[in-house]
Amino acid sequence: MTPQNILLIPKIERGIVIDHIPAGLGIQVMALIGRWPELEDAVITLGLNYKSTRMGRKDMIKLQAEPLPPRLLQMLALVCPGVTIKRIERFEVVEKVVVQVPELFDNLARCINPNCITNAEPHVATRFRRIESGSRNFKCAHCERVCSLDELAGHLKA
Amino acid sequence: MKNDLISIDDLGLEQILDYLDLAARVEALPNAEKAGLLPGKILATLFFEPSTRTRLSFESAMCRLGGRVIGFSESANSSTAKGESFSDTIRTVEQYADVIAVRHPKEGTARLAAEIAGIPILNAGDGANQHPTQTLLDLYTLRKFFGQVDGLKIALVGDLKYSRTIHSLCRALLAFDGVAMTLVSPESLRLPGYLTQAAAGTTATFRESESLADAIRDNDVVYMTRIQKERFPDLVEYEKVKDCYRLEAKMLEGAPARLKVLHPLPRVNEISPDVDATPHAGYFEQARNGVIMRQALILDLLDARP
Repeated sequence: MTPQNILLIPKIERGIVIDHIPAGLGIQVMALIGRWPELEDAVITLGLNYKSTRMGRKDMIKLQAEPLPPRLLQMLALVCPGVTIKRIERFEVVEKVVVQVPELFDNLARCINPNCITNAEPHVATRFRRIESGSRNFKCAHCERVCSLDELAGHLKA
Repeated sequence: MKNDLISIDDLGLEQILDYLDLAARVEALPNAEKAGLLPGKILATLFFEPSTRTRLSFESAMCRLGGRVIGFSESANSSTAKGESFSDTIRTVEQYADVIAVRHPKEGTARLAAEIAGIPILNAGDGANQHPTQTLLDLYTLRKFFGQVDGLKIALVGDLKYSRTIHSLCRALLAFDGVAMTLVSPESLRLPGYLTQAAAGTTATFRESESLADAIRDNDVVYMTRIQKERFPDLVEYEKVKDCYRLEAKMLEGAPARLKVLHPLPRVNEISPDVDATPHAGYFEQARNGVIMRQALILDLLDARP
Protein backbone atom coordinates (compact mmCIF):
# COMPACT_ATOMS: atom_id res chain seq x y z
CA MET A 1 0.00 0.00 0.00
CA THR A 2 1.34 3.41 -0.95
CA PRO A 3 2.04 6.03 1.79
CA GLN A 4 -0.74 8.12 0.25
CA ASN A 5 -3.23 5.27 0.69
CA ILE A 6 -2.14 4.69 4.25
CA LEU A 7 -3.10 8.29 4.97
CA LEU A 8 -6.49 7.62 3.41
CA ILE A 9 -7.09 4.33 5.26
CA PRO A 10 -5.43 4.11 8.65
CA LYS A 11 -3.79 0.78 9.40
CA ILE A 12 -5.32 -1.27 12.17
CA GLU A 13 -3.33 -3.14 14.80
CA ARG A 14 -5.64 -6.11 15.00
CA GLY A 15 -8.85 -7.13 13.27
CA ILE A 16 -10.31 -7.86 9.86
CA VAL A 17 -10.08 -6.03 6.54
CA ILE A 18 -12.72 -6.64 3.89
CA ASP A 19 -10.94 -5.53 0.72
CA HIS A 20 -11.81 -5.42 -2.97
CA ILE A 21 -15.49 -4.70 -2.37
CA PRO A 22 -16.88 -3.58 -5.75
CA ALA A 23 -17.28 0.20 -5.63
CA GLY A 24 -20.81 1.07 -4.54
CA LEU A 25 -21.38 -2.05 -2.45
CA GLY A 26 -19.50 -0.83 0.66
CA ILE A 27 -22.62 0.71 2.17
CA GLN A 28 -24.55 -2.53 1.63
CA VAL A 29 -21.80 -4.53 3.32
CA MET A 30 -21.89 -2.06 6.24
CA ALA A 31 -25.63 -2.66 6.53
CA LEU A 32 -24.94 -6.41 6.68
CA ILE A 33 -22.34 -5.95 9.41
CA GLY A 34 -24.92 -3.92 11.32
CA ARG A 35 -27.07 -7.06 11.63
CA TRP A 36 -24.61 -8.62 14.09
CA PRO A 37 -25.00 -7.39 17.68
CA GLU A 38 -21.57 -8.83 18.58
CA LEU A 39 -19.98 -6.36 16.15
CA GLU A 40 -21.84 -3.40 17.64
CA ASP A 41 -18.89 -2.21 19.73
CA ALA A 42 -16.25 -2.75 17.04
CA VAL A 43 -14.46 0.29 15.65
CA ILE A 44 -15.15 0.27 11.93
CA THR A 45 -13.56 2.29 9.13
CA LEU A 46 -15.44 2.49 5.85
CA GLY A 47 -13.61 3.62 2.74
CA LEU A 48 -15.41 4.27 -0.52
CA ASN A 49 -14.26 4.60 -4.08
CA TYR A 50 -10.53 4.03 -3.65
CA LYS A 51 -8.41 3.66 -6.74
CA SER A 52 -7.54 0.06 -7.45
CA THR A 53 -5.23 -1.28 -10.13
CA ARG A 54 -7.28 -4.45 -10.43
CA MET A 55 -10.80 -3.07 -10.12
CA GLY A 56 -10.58 0.56 -11.15
CA ARG A 57 -12.46 1.64 -8.04
CA LYS A 58 -13.20 -0.31 -4.89
CA ASP A 59 -14.62 0.01 -1.39
CA MET A 60 -12.92 -1.28 1.78
CA ILE A 61 -13.96 -1.90 5.37
CA LYS A 62 -11.71 -2.37 8.40
CA LEU A 63 -13.11 -3.84 11.58
CA GLN A 64 -11.20 -3.84 14.83
CA ALA A 65 -12.84 -7.07 15.82
CA GLU A 66 -12.55 -10.76 14.98
CA PRO A 67 -13.49 -13.28 13.94
CA LEU A 68 -16.22 -12.50 11.40
CA PRO A 69 -19.41 -14.47 12.08
CA PRO A 70 -19.55 -17.39 9.56
CA ARG A 71 -23.03 -16.38 8.38
CA LEU A 72 -21.74 -12.88 7.57
CA LEU A 73 -19.02 -14.47 5.45
CA GLN A 74 -21.65 -16.53 3.63
CA MET A 75 -23.68 -13.38 2.98
CA LEU A 76 -20.57 -11.69 1.57
CA ALA A 77 -20.21 -14.64 -0.80
CA LEU A 78 -23.72 -13.89 -2.01
CA VAL A 79 -23.56 -10.08 -2.18
CA CYS A 80 -19.99 -9.52 -3.33
CA PRO A 81 -18.08 -12.73 -4.13
CA GLY A 82 -14.43 -12.06 -4.89
CA VAL A 83 -13.83 -9.80 -1.88
CA THR A 84 -10.65 -10.45 0.07
CA ILE A 85 -10.80 -11.05 3.81
CA LYS A 86 -7.53 -10.28 5.59
CA ARG A 87 -6.81 -11.02 9.23
CA ILE A 88 -4.51 -8.48 10.80
CA GLU A 89 -2.26 -8.98 13.81
CA ARG A 90 0.30 -6.40 14.98
CA PHE A 91 -0.44 -4.30 11.87
CA GLU A 92 0.48 -7.21 9.58
CA VAL A 93 -1.66 -9.42 7.33
CA VAL A 94 -1.40 -12.92 8.84
CA GLU A 95 -4.12 -14.60 6.77
CA LYS A 96 -5.80 -13.77 3.49
CA VAL A 97 -8.81 -15.46 1.92
CA VAL A 98 -10.68 -14.64 -1.29
CA VAL A 99 -14.41 -15.25 -0.86
CA GLN A 100 -15.60 -17.59 -3.62
CA VAL A 101 -19.06 -18.27 -5.00
CA PRO A 102 -20.10 -21.42 -3.12
CA GLU A 103 -21.96 -24.45 -4.50
CA LEU A 104 -24.80 -24.00 -2.01
CA PHE A 105 -26.48 -21.10 -0.22
CA ASP A 106 -28.09 -22.51 2.89
CA ASN A 107 -31.00 -20.44 4.19
CA LEU A 108 -29.43 -17.09 3.30
CA ALA A 109 -31.96 -15.82 0.79
CA ARG A 110 -35.65 -15.98 0.00
CA CYS A 111 -36.72 -17.57 -3.28
CA ILE A 112 -37.38 -15.06 -6.08
CA ASN A 113 -40.47 -17.06 -7.10
CA PRO A 114 -43.39 -15.55 -5.17
CA ASN A 115 -45.32 -18.80 -5.63
CA CYS A 116 -42.60 -20.93 -4.02
CA ILE A 117 -43.81 -22.65 -0.85
CA THR A 118 -40.79 -21.30 1.05
CA ASN A 119 -42.28 -17.81 0.71
CA ALA A 120 -45.61 -18.97 2.09
CA GLU A 121 -43.95 -20.76 5.01
CA PRO A 122 -41.00 -18.53 5.91
CA HIS A 123 -39.78 -20.82 8.72
CA VAL A 124 -38.70 -23.30 6.03
CA ALA A 125 -34.94 -23.21 5.40
CA THR A 126 -34.23 -22.36 1.76
CA ARG A 127 -31.41 -23.93 -0.27
CA PHE A 128 -30.04 -22.76 -3.60
CA ARG A 129 -27.59 -24.97 -5.47
CA ARG A 130 -25.29 -23.82 -8.26
CA ILE A 131 -26.65 -25.34 -11.47
CA GLU A 132 -23.15 -26.20 -12.69
CA SER A 133 -19.58 -25.49 -11.75
CA GLY A 134 -18.52 -21.99 -12.77
CA SER A 135 -22.08 -20.79 -13.34
CA ARG A 136 -23.54 -17.76 -11.55
CA ASN A 137 -27.01 -19.30 -11.67
CA PHE A 138 -28.63 -21.14 -8.80
CA LYS A 139 -31.64 -23.43 -8.52
CA CYS A 140 -34.12 -23.38 -5.65
CA ALA A 141 -34.10 -26.82 -4.01
CA HIS A 142 -37.86 -26.54 -3.51
CA CYS A 143 -39.56 -24.94 -6.53
CA GLU A 144 -36.62 -25.61 -8.94
CA ARG A 145 -36.71 -22.02 -10.26
CA VAL A 146 -33.32 -20.97 -11.59
CA CYS A 147 -32.13 -17.47 -10.69
CA SER A 148 -28.94 -15.45 -10.92
CA LEU A 149 -26.59 -14.62 -8.08
CA ASP A 150 -27.63 -10.96 -8.35
CA GLU A 151 -31.31 -11.86 -8.07
CA LEU A 152 -30.59 -13.91 -4.95
CA ALA A 153 -28.50 -11.11 -3.45
CA GLY A 154 -31.57 -8.89 -3.76
CA HIS A 155 -33.57 -11.38 -1.66
CA LEU A 156 -31.42 -11.75 1.45
CA LYS A 157 -33.24 -13.19 4.45
CA ALA A 158 -33.66 -10.95 7.48
CA MET B 1 -33.65 -44.59 3.59
CA LYS B 2 -37.09 -43.77 2.27
CA ASN B 3 -37.73 -42.99 -1.38
CA ASP B 4 -39.82 -40.17 -2.82
CA LEU B 5 -40.84 -39.14 -6.32
CA ILE B 6 -40.66 -35.37 -6.53
CA SER B 7 -39.17 -34.28 -9.86
CA ILE B 8 -38.47 -35.96 -13.17
CA ASP B 9 -35.12 -34.17 -13.04
CA ASP B 10 -34.13 -36.37 -10.09
CA LEU B 11 -34.36 -39.49 -12.27
CA GLY B 12 -31.67 -40.74 -14.60
CA LEU B 13 -32.52 -42.73 -17.73
CA GLU B 14 -31.78 -45.98 -15.92
CA GLN B 15 -34.30 -45.20 -13.19
CA ILE B 16 -36.91 -44.13 -15.72
CA LEU B 17 -36.47 -47.40 -17.65
CA ASP B 18 -36.65 -49.33 -14.40
CA TYR B 19 -40.02 -47.71 -13.61
CA LEU B 20 -41.30 -48.50 -17.11
CA ASP B 21 -40.24 -52.16 -16.68
CA LEU B 22 -41.86 -52.31 -13.27
CA ALA B 23 -45.11 -50.88 -14.66
CA ALA B 24 -45.10 -53.54 -17.37
CA ARG B 25 -44.64 -56.25 -14.74
CA VAL B 26 -47.47 -54.81 -12.66
CA GLU B 27 -49.77 -54.66 -15.67
CA ALA B 28 -49.08 -58.30 -16.45
CA LEU B 29 -50.10 -59.50 -12.99
CA PRO B 30 -53.53 -61.10 -12.58
CA ASN B 31 -55.98 -58.77 -10.80
CA ALA B 32 -56.37 -61.14 -7.87
CA GLU B 33 -52.64 -61.17 -7.26
CA LYS B 34 -52.42 -57.39 -7.52
CA ALA B 35 -55.19 -56.98 -4.99
CA GLY B 36 -53.09 -58.78 -2.39
CA LEU B 37 -49.94 -56.67 -2.71
CA LEU B 38 -50.62 -53.89 -0.22
CA PRO B 39 -53.07 -55.15 2.41
CA GLY B 40 -53.37 -52.82 5.39
CA LYS B 41 -51.43 -50.02 3.70
CA ILE B 42 -52.90 -46.52 3.49
CA LEU B 43 -52.35 -43.87 0.82
CA ALA B 44 -53.22 -40.28 1.77
CA THR B 45 -54.18 -38.12 -1.21
CA LEU B 46 -53.74 -34.51 -0.13
CA PHE B 47 -55.13 -32.38 -2.94
CA PHE B 48 -54.91 -28.72 -2.00
CA GLU B 49 -56.34 -27.88 -5.41
CA PRO B 50 -58.87 -29.89 -7.37
CA SER B 51 -57.66 -32.42 -9.91
CA THR B 52 -60.25 -35.10 -10.24
CA ARG B 53 -58.38 -37.19 -12.76
CA THR B 54 -55.04 -37.40 -11.02
CA ARG B 55 -56.61 -37.97 -7.62
CA LEU B 56 -58.96 -40.72 -8.82
CA SER B 57 -56.11 -42.35 -10.71
CA PHE B 58 -53.97 -42.49 -7.53
CA GLU B 59 -56.93 -43.75 -5.51
CA SER B 60 -57.85 -46.40 -8.07
CA ALA B 61 -54.20 -47.53 -8.19
CA MET B 62 -54.07 -47.97 -4.41
CA CYS B 63 -57.48 -49.65 -4.12
CA ARG B 64 -56.60 -52.16 -6.85
CA LEU B 65 -53.45 -53.08 -4.93
CA GLY B 66 -55.54 -53.97 -1.89
CA GLY B 67 -54.65 -50.82 0.03
CA ARG B 68 -56.89 -48.08 1.34
CA VAL B 69 -57.15 -44.37 0.73
CA ILE B 70 -57.79 -41.33 2.90
CA GLY B 71 -57.55 -37.66 1.94
CA PHE B 72 -59.21 -34.50 0.74
CA SER B 73 -59.83 -33.05 -2.69
CA GLU B 74 -59.48 -29.31 -2.12
CA SER B 75 -57.99 -27.14 0.59
CA ALA B 76 -61.44 -25.85 1.63
CA ASN B 77 -62.01 -29.35 3.04
CA SER B 78 -58.73 -29.43 4.95
CA SER B 79 -57.34 -27.71 8.03
CA THR B 80 -55.61 -25.25 5.72
CA ALA B 81 -58.97 -23.43 5.67
CA LYS B 82 -58.53 -23.03 9.44
CA GLY B 83 -55.06 -21.58 8.97
CA GLU B 84 -52.91 -24.69 9.44
CA SER B 85 -49.53 -24.56 7.72
CA PHE B 86 -48.67 -27.01 4.97
CA SER B 87 -45.81 -28.34 7.09
CA ASP B 88 -48.15 -29.13 9.98
CA THR B 89 -50.62 -30.87 7.68
CA ILE B 90 -47.83 -33.13 6.44
CA ARG B 91 -46.51 -33.83 9.95
CA THR B 92 -50.02 -34.80 11.04
CA VAL B 93 -51.05 -36.88 8.05
CA GLU B 94 -47.82 -38.89 8.10
CA GLN B 95 -49.08 -40.31 11.39
CA TYR B 96 -52.17 -41.63 9.58
CA ALA B 97 -50.77 -43.08 6.35
CA ASP B 98 -47.93 -45.11 4.81
CA VAL B 99 -47.47 -42.99 1.68
CA ILE B 100 -48.69 -39.52 0.66
CA ALA B 101 -49.60 -38.19 -2.79
CA VAL B 102 -49.68 -34.41 -2.65
CA ARG B 103 -50.92 -31.79 -5.09
CA HIS B 104 -50.63 -28.11 -4.28
CA PRO B 105 -50.90 -24.82 -6.20
CA LYS B 106 -47.53 -23.63 -4.86
CA GLU B 107 -44.26 -24.79 -6.35
CA GLY B 108 -41.89 -26.73 -4.09
CA THR B 109 -44.54 -28.23 -1.82
CA ALA B 110 -43.79 -31.85 -2.67
CA ARG B 111 -40.07 -31.33 -2.00
CA LEU B 112 -40.88 -29.70 1.32
CA ALA B 113 -43.24 -32.56 2.21
CA ALA B 114 -40.46 -35.05 1.43
CA GLU B 115 -38.08 -33.18 3.73
CA ILE B 116 -40.58 -33.16 6.57
CA ALA B 117 -42.20 -36.58 6.36
CA GLY B 118 -40.66 -39.88 7.38
CA ILE B 119 -42.88 -41.68 4.86
CA PRO B 120 -42.61 -41.61 1.04
CA ILE B 121 -44.04 -38.64 -0.87
CA LEU B 122 -45.38 -38.73 -4.44
CA ASN B 123 -45.61 -35.40 -6.21
CA ALA B 124 -49.03 -35.21 -7.85
CA GLY B 125 -48.30 -31.70 -9.17
CA ASP B 126 -46.72 -28.67 -7.50
CA GLY B 127 -47.94 -25.44 -9.08
CA ALA B 128 -46.31 -24.81 -12.45
CA ASN B 129 -43.27 -26.91 -11.54
CA GLN B 130 -43.47 -30.71 -11.79
CA HIS B 131 -45.93 -33.54 -12.36
CA PRO B 132 -43.57 -36.52 -12.64
CA THR B 133 -46.19 -39.29 -12.56
CA GLN B 134 -47.77 -37.76 -15.70
CA THR B 135 -44.40 -37.82 -17.47
CA LEU B 136 -43.74 -41.43 -16.49
CA LEU B 137 -47.18 -42.55 -17.62
CA ASP B 138 -46.65 -40.72 -20.93
CA LEU B 139 -43.35 -42.53 -21.45
CA TYR B 140 -44.98 -45.82 -20.51
CA THR B 141 -47.74 -45.15 -23.04
CA LEU B 142 -45.19 -44.39 -25.77
CA ARG B 143 -43.31 -47.59 -25.04
CA LYS B 144 -46.50 -49.65 -25.01
CA PHE B 145 -47.63 -48.31 -28.36
CA PHE B 146 -44.27 -48.37 -30.12
CA GLY B 147 -42.12 -50.87 -28.22
CA GLN B 148 -39.55 -48.22 -27.43
CA VAL B 149 -39.17 -44.47 -26.96
CA ASP B 150 -35.81 -44.14 -28.77
CA GLY B 151 -36.09 -42.72 -32.26
CA LEU B 152 -39.76 -41.70 -32.02
CA LYS B 153 -41.04 -38.70 -33.95
CA ILE B 154 -43.34 -36.73 -31.71
CA ALA B 155 -45.33 -33.58 -32.46
CA LEU B 156 -46.14 -31.47 -29.42
CA VAL B 157 -49.17 -29.33 -30.16
CA GLY B 158 -50.87 -26.37 -28.52
CA ASP B 159 -49.74 -24.52 -25.43
CA LEU B 160 -46.04 -25.29 -25.33
CA LYS B 161 -45.24 -22.21 -23.29
CA TYR B 162 -47.18 -22.89 -20.12
CA SER B 163 -47.87 -26.63 -20.21
CA ARG B 164 -46.08 -28.28 -17.31
CA THR B 165 -46.81 -31.66 -18.89
CA ILE B 166 -45.00 -30.68 -22.09
CA HIS B 167 -41.97 -29.20 -20.31
CA SER B 168 -41.55 -32.26 -18.16
CA LEU B 169 -42.04 -34.68 -21.07
CA CYS B 170 -39.53 -32.75 -23.20
CA ARG B 171 -36.88 -32.95 -20.51
CA ALA B 172 -37.44 -36.68 -20.09
CA LEU B 173 -37.36 -37.32 -23.87
CA LEU B 174 -33.94 -35.66 -24.10
CA ALA B 175 -32.56 -38.60 -22.10
CA PHE B 176 -33.63 -41.09 -24.79
CA ASP B 177 -31.86 -41.71 -28.05
CA GLY B 178 -32.70 -39.69 -31.15
CA VAL B 179 -36.21 -38.46 -30.35
CA ALA B 180 -37.34 -35.92 -32.97
CA MET B 181 -39.78 -33.34 -31.66
CA THR B 182 -41.91 -31.10 -33.84
CA LEU B 183 -43.23 -28.07 -31.99
CA VAL B 184 -46.62 -26.89 -33.23
CA SER B 185 -47.92 -23.81 -31.48
CA PRO B 186 -49.08 -20.26 -32.06
CA GLU B 187 -46.27 -17.71 -31.87
CA SER B 188 -47.35 -16.53 -28.41
CA LEU B 189 -47.28 -20.05 -26.93
CA ARG B 190 -43.89 -21.34 -28.12
CA LEU B 191 -41.74 -23.68 -26.07
CA PRO B 192 -39.39 -21.73 -23.71
CA GLY B 193 -35.89 -21.33 -25.12
CA TYR B 194 -34.20 -23.01 -22.17
CA LEU B 195 -35.84 -26.31 -23.16
CA THR B 196 -34.71 -26.23 -26.79
CA GLN B 197 -31.25 -25.18 -25.61
CA ALA B 198 -31.18 -28.17 -23.27
CA ALA B 199 -31.12 -30.40 -26.36
CA ALA B 200 -27.56 -29.28 -27.10
CA GLY B 201 -25.24 -32.23 -26.61
CA THR B 202 -28.10 -34.75 -26.78
CA THR B 203 -29.33 -36.78 -29.74
CA ALA B 204 -32.78 -35.14 -29.62
CA THR B 205 -33.87 -32.65 -32.27
CA PHE B 206 -36.46 -29.88 -32.34
CA ARG B 207 -38.13 -28.21 -35.27
CA GLU B 208 -40.92 -25.68 -35.30
CA SER B 209 -44.01 -25.84 -37.44
CA GLU B 210 -47.32 -24.03 -37.51
CA SER B 211 -49.12 -26.71 -39.47
CA LEU B 212 -50.99 -29.42 -37.63
CA ALA B 213 -51.61 -31.18 -40.96
CA ASP B 214 -47.86 -31.51 -41.56
CA ALA B 215 -47.38 -32.79 -38.02
CA ILE B 216 -49.98 -35.50 -38.57
CA ARG B 217 -48.34 -36.64 -41.79
CA ASP B 218 -44.77 -36.75 -40.54
CA ASN B 219 -44.89 -38.11 -36.99
CA ASP B 220 -45.50 -41.24 -34.92
CA VAL B 221 -47.25 -39.31 -32.15
CA VAL B 222 -49.31 -36.15 -31.98
CA TYR B 223 -49.39 -35.01 -28.37
CA MET B 224 -52.20 -32.46 -27.98
CA THR B 225 -52.56 -30.06 -25.06
CA ARG B 226 -55.34 -27.82 -23.85
CA ILE B 227 -54.81 -24.10 -24.17
CA GLN B 228 -55.30 -23.14 -20.55
CA LYS B 229 -57.53 -20.11 -20.13
CA GLU B 230 -56.35 -19.56 -16.55
CA ARG B 231 -52.80 -18.90 -17.77
CA PHE B 232 -53.71 -15.81 -19.78
CA PRO B 233 -53.54 -12.44 -18.05
CA ASP B 234 -55.40 -10.97 -21.04
CA LEU B 235 -58.50 -12.89 -22.15
CA VAL B 236 -58.43 -11.19 -25.55
CA GLU B 237 -55.16 -13.03 -26.19
CA TYR B 238 -56.80 -16.28 -25.10
CA GLU B 239 -59.72 -15.80 -27.49
CA LYS B 240 -57.24 -15.32 -30.36
CA VAL B 241 -55.56 -18.67 -29.89
CA LYS B 242 -58.00 -20.90 -28.01
CA ASP B 243 -59.19 -22.90 -31.00
CA CYS B 244 -56.19 -22.54 -33.27
CA TYR B 245 -55.33 -26.24 -33.23
CA ARG B 246 -58.36 -28.46 -33.30
CA LEU B 247 -57.95 -32.05 -34.37
CA GLU B 248 -60.84 -33.69 -36.23
CA ALA B 249 -61.26 -37.23 -37.57
CA LYS B 250 -61.20 -36.10 -41.21
CA MET B 251 -57.73 -34.59 -40.69
CA LEU B 252 -56.49 -38.07 -39.79
CA GLU B 253 -57.52 -39.59 -43.11
CA GLY B 254 -54.30 -40.58 -44.81
CA ALA B 255 -52.31 -40.38 -41.58
CA PRO B 256 -49.71 -43.13 -41.07
CA ALA B 257 -51.37 -46.22 -39.60
CA ARG B 258 -49.08 -46.19 -36.59
CA LEU B 259 -49.90 -42.57 -35.65
CA LYS B 260 -51.22 -42.18 -32.10
CA VAL B 261 -52.91 -39.11 -30.68
CA LEU B 262 -52.21 -38.50 -26.99
CA HIS B 263 -53.53 -35.89 -24.57
CA PRO B 264 -53.06 -35.53 -20.79
CA LEU B 265 -56.82 -34.76 -20.49
CA PRO B 266 -59.13 -33.07 -19.76
CA ARG B 267 -59.71 -31.96 -23.33
CA VAL B 268 -62.00 -29.10 -24.25
CA ASN B 269 -62.16 -28.29 -27.96
CA GLU B 270 -58.75 -29.37 -29.15
CA ILE B 271 -59.75 -32.94 -30.03
CA SER B 272 -63.12 -33.44 -31.63
CA PRO B 273 -65.09 -36.38 -30.14
CA ASP B 274 -65.18 -37.99 -33.61
CA VAL B 275 -61.44 -38.75 -33.22
CA ASP B 276 -62.28 -41.14 -30.35
CA ALA B 277 -63.56 -43.79 -32.76
CA THR B 278 -60.44 -43.74 -34.95
CA PRO B 279 -57.61 -46.23 -34.36
CA HIS B 280 -55.35 -43.24 -33.72
CA ALA B 281 -56.98 -42.19 -30.44
CA GLY B 282 -54.61 -43.17 -27.64
CA TYR B 283 -55.65 -40.80 -24.87
CA PHE B 284 -58.04 -43.04 -22.97
CA GLU B 285 -55.52 -45.85 -22.93
CA GLN B 286 -53.03 -43.22 -21.75
CA ALA B 287 -55.39 -42.47 -18.82
CA ARG B 288 -55.57 -46.19 -18.05
CA ASN B 289 -51.79 -46.37 -18.07
CA GLY B 290 -51.83 -43.66 -15.42
CA VAL B 291 -53.29 -46.13 -12.95
CA ILE B 292 -50.71 -48.78 -13.85
CA MET B 293 -47.75 -46.42 -13.58
CA ARG B 294 -49.00 -45.07 -10.25
CA GLN B 295 -49.40 -48.63 -8.98
CA ALA B 296 -45.78 -49.29 -9.91
CA LEU B 297 -44.62 -46.12 -8.16
CA ILE B 298 -46.61 -46.79 -4.99
CA LEU B 299 -45.23 -50.34 -4.85
CA ASP B 300 -41.70 -49.10 -5.37
CA LEU B 301 -41.91 -46.42 -2.71
CA LEU B 302 -43.46 -48.86 -0.24
CA ASP B 303 -40.72 -51.35 -0.98
CA ALA B 304 -43.27 -53.91 -2.15
CA ARG B 305 -42.21 -54.57 -5.75
CA PRO B 306 -43.73 -57.78 -7.10
